[in-house]
Amino acid sequence: MDLLLNLTVNGLATGMLIFLLAAGLTLIFGLMSVLNFAHGGLFAWGAFSGVFFYGVTGSFLISVIGAVLTGVVLGFITEKLIIKPVYGNHVQQILITLGFMLVLSEMLKVVFGPNQIAAKTPDYLSGSWEAGGVILIKYRLFIILVGLLVFAVVQFILKRTKIGLVVRAGVINKEMVQALGIDINKVFLYVFMAGAGLAALAGALMAPYSGVVYAEMGLEFAILAFIVVVIGGMGSFPGSLLAAILVGLAGSYMAYFVPSLSLAVNMILMAVVLIFRPQGLFTAKEA
Amino acid sequence: MISKLQGKNFWLIVIAAVLAAFPLFSDSRTMTILLTQIFIFSILAMSYDILLGYTGIVSFGHAMFFGVGAYTTAVILDRMEPTLGMFLLSIAAGMVIAGIISFIAGLLTLRLKSHFYAMFTLALSGLFLVAAEKWRTVTNGNDGFTFRAPEFFQDRTMFYLTALICLILVYLLLSRFVASPMGRVLIAVRENEQRTASLGYKTLHYKVTASVVAGIFASLAGSLYSVSLRFVNTSVMTMDITLDALLMTIIGGVGTLIGPILGATVIEFAQHYLSGLARDYPIFERWIIFFGIVYILAVIFFPQGIVGWFRQIRAKRSGKRAAAIKAKQPVLKAKAEENG
Repeated sequence: MDLLLNLTVNGLATGMLIFLLAAGLTLIFGLMSVLNFAHGGLFAWGAFSGVFFYGVTGSFLISVIGAVLTGVVLGFITEKLIIKPVYGNHVQQILITLGFMLVLSEMLKVVFGPNQIAAKTPDYLSGSWEAGGVILIKYRLFIILVGLLVFAVVQFILKRTKIGLVVRAGVINKEMVQALGIDINKVFLYVFMAGAGLAALAGALMAPYSGVVYAEMGLEFAILAFIVVVIGGMGSFPGSLLAAILVGLAGSYMAYFVPSLSLAVNMILMAVVLIFRPQGLFTAKEA
Repeated sequence: MISKLQGKNFWLIVIAAVLAAFPLFSDSRTMTILLTQIFIFSILAMSYDILLGYTGIVSFGHAMFFGVGAYTTAVILDRMEPTLGMFLLSIAAGMVIAGIISFIAGLLTLRLKSHFYAMFTLALSGLFLVAAEKWRTVTNGNDGFTFRAPEFFQDRTMFYLTALICLILVYLLLSRFVASPMGRVLIAVRENEQRTASLGYKTLHYKVTASVVAGIFASLAGSLYSVSLRFVNTSVMTMDITLDALLMTIIGGVGTLIGPILGATVIEFAQHYLSGLARDYPIFERWIIFFGIVYILAVIFFPQGIVGWFRQIRAKRSGKRAAAIKAKQPVLKAKAEENG
């Protein structure tokens, strides 16, 4: 029981981190059908800058805010320099964002050095609670909480505000939104920056969770995020939450019970979804 | 146009002859190894271009096929006796496995938009990398293992020539393939998939075939690569290999077969000299950044690569000449495209 609970908490925490990454990916894709392969790079930058700001200021809150701001600024640069010039050409977009991913992760090595860096958990979040013989690690619960909070906030913005309305309308029919006199490119820029910020937030939270940050972590997590986006359905925000939890839990259980299959299970899940429901598990829309 | 083609072939034969005679003139070990490396990566880049340049499919898992070939050959030569027959058998086995994987990957994702194939191959190659690291009884993990190459290849020159012959054979085979009706349909798919489908072609079949052909030849490159090092480890499955293939194809020129060979030459030489420079100037240790930036700029401003650039210049020149005579530019332009 104790074990199952711990595995579940662990899986949920990982799932939430993947969700933060996938949320930006799926909205960016839904809005402009741009698949951003550089997203993992933004995630890694978030992780490194989080560790950096934590070392400088000593405050976890400031470090997370610093990381998110770094992500937002990088997102702005990415959209303006990398996505804009090849707008509308899918093959070029895929190629160029992957190239930028390469530059981002190499830049990390230039700025922060090629070695992995240890990341500390703040005192008030380290340790664990014990309740009725069950040990719960604080930081994991914290990640789950942040994930749910972000989901609630973004869901609120999407469903209850004007900008959310525009974004949702843009996902369904971009041309119609443009015809109504809304500058969809500007909306896209904002969504892109927000998505980059979320990726950086995931990175900043990931750093104390894994204990170390390294430049290759971006690609590793980006692969999981892609799997989530496929399973959850491209462009579906709630779908990406459910799929991320599914992938997180599957990974966590498998890593314990059948360790050799832990990555394979996600691939199999993705393959099954691609065969039977290529539009994603949690979307009604036809792909 | 026929005479033009013959002219091109003539120069290719001259270059091949010079390369074949190269070991007679020079006994520079580094140069022989570097050129062998270029031949092998040219095969990889050409196979990549069948997907990217000819069919318009982006794959991020090419390292997987390369790695399958490398490991199959290494394991067979290590477990059985290292003879030429076993070497050929291992190449064939690698090709069959790579063919099956690329067939499945293609069948699963090529029905959908281009993003899916890119994502799926990326994730699948990630899985293969982890498998290569974890399946220690066969692969010996990240440390890899050394093995004995066939007696025949103990001499570097023999292997150099073998790689060159493989490159020439693959070039001839693939140029036949892209010129065949099959290859023409692939180009049609790249240009406009819906229109091709509406003409009655089952585009999925053609795209899956392209995926299989690319996988098979990437596996051949991997087999040669592992024999050239007499060593294999997980680095053959990493993203770096895919990125190399991508860079070579883009910089050389997509949609041609000469382009990837040119790209492989440029990149291998640049890597060689830049990593040499890194000993004196530490900034060059991060030479990948330069490649990344060049690559991004190439995608934005220079999407046709070196070969495309040359063609543009030539088309412009002959265009001017023609304009001076008869103002027949559109026809010539169409011809220049036809050559592609």
